[in-house]
Amino acid sequence: MEITVLYRDNETIHFLVEGIDVAFANALRRTMLTKLPAMAIDEVLIIENTSVMYDEILAQRLGLVPLVTDLESYNLPEECDCEGKGCSLCQCTLTLEKEAGDEDLIIYSGDLSSQDPKVVPATNGIPLVKLAPGQSIILEAYAKLGTGQENAKFQPVSTVAYKYVPIVTVDTSKCDACGACVDVCPKKIFLLDDGTISTQNTLDCTLCDLCVNSCEPGAITIDSKEDTFLFKVESTGALPPEVIVEKTAELLKEKVRQALDFASSL
Amino acid sequence: MIIPVRCFTCGKVVGDKYEKFQEAIRQGEDPAAVLDRLGLHRYCCRRMLLSHIDIIDSFMAYSKVETPEANQ
Repeated sequence: MEITVLYRDNETIHFLVEGIDVAFANALRRTMLTKLPAMAIDEVLIIENTSVMYDEILAQRLGLVPLVTDLESYNLPEECDCEGKGCSLCQCTLTLEKEAGDEDLIIYSGDLSSQDPKVVPATNGIPLVKLAPGQSIILEAYAKLGTGQENAKFQPVSTVAYKYVPIVTVDTSKCDACGACVDVCPKKIFLLDDGTISTQNTLDCTLCDLCVNSCEPGAITIDSKEDTFLFKVESTGALPPEVIVEKTAELLKEKVRQALDFASSL
Repeated sequence: MIIPVRCFTCGKVVGDKYEKFQEAIRQGEDPAAVLDRLGLHRYCCRRMLLSHIDIIDSFMAYSKVETPEANQ
């Protein structure tokens, strides 16, 4: 298996994996979505809420705020020594106390103050609620680790997608350089230059076959590599994208080991 | 009521981008270009901002603030 990172920034990573099959690629994707834990607010104690927003909606919005996750210092509540009651090893408290003065006040995710300086909202600019003059909010929120299997708010990724790597070939003996494929391709893969068709950025190809249909039979063929996948992983900000991929690989390895142990015990 | 925190379909955080989007639109920029710049490339996330109507301000106009004088 060979991995090539094509692009990475703070929240996304694109990489090529060679030498795997669809089953493995999909296992990797599904593990990222449902098995990799991340922090999210799970319980909210509302002490005062005179805003126009119902407590339930406010609590739901708080739950969706991605929190920077520290996987090393926190346990999953069901694996914790406190048996899920909530101790400092599996729970983090965030508080919010705001009152609007004479003007409207927007409460942002950044206004949440956390007990643990490492567990903070991944972005500070999410508006949670707007207060009219004189309204106030006092609440306590408890964040815990959870998995996407339990609730989508715990997913550390917003999207994980993979696709086959496209192979675009132009048969120059059959191509009459009409340029129809250049116009029809939504990803601008073909270039018409001096009466010959060349290709660029073939990784962007969506395998839509529009070029094949617009062309002489056999002049353009779109195929895909069977054992190479292009992954696009987009983090919510809870974990850095490369950590997501690494941790997922570890989790998957552990699950396979468990399955093998079970199989050999039969 | 207020901009949703995340995209309904894919789960990307869109809440923090709404104010920047509104500001840029007010300056007369092209919505498509602004959405691209904000990193919203999928149409599920784009519709979250494009089709949103903030009505919390209309609610706030009718909100009642409980003051000690009012309770007496």
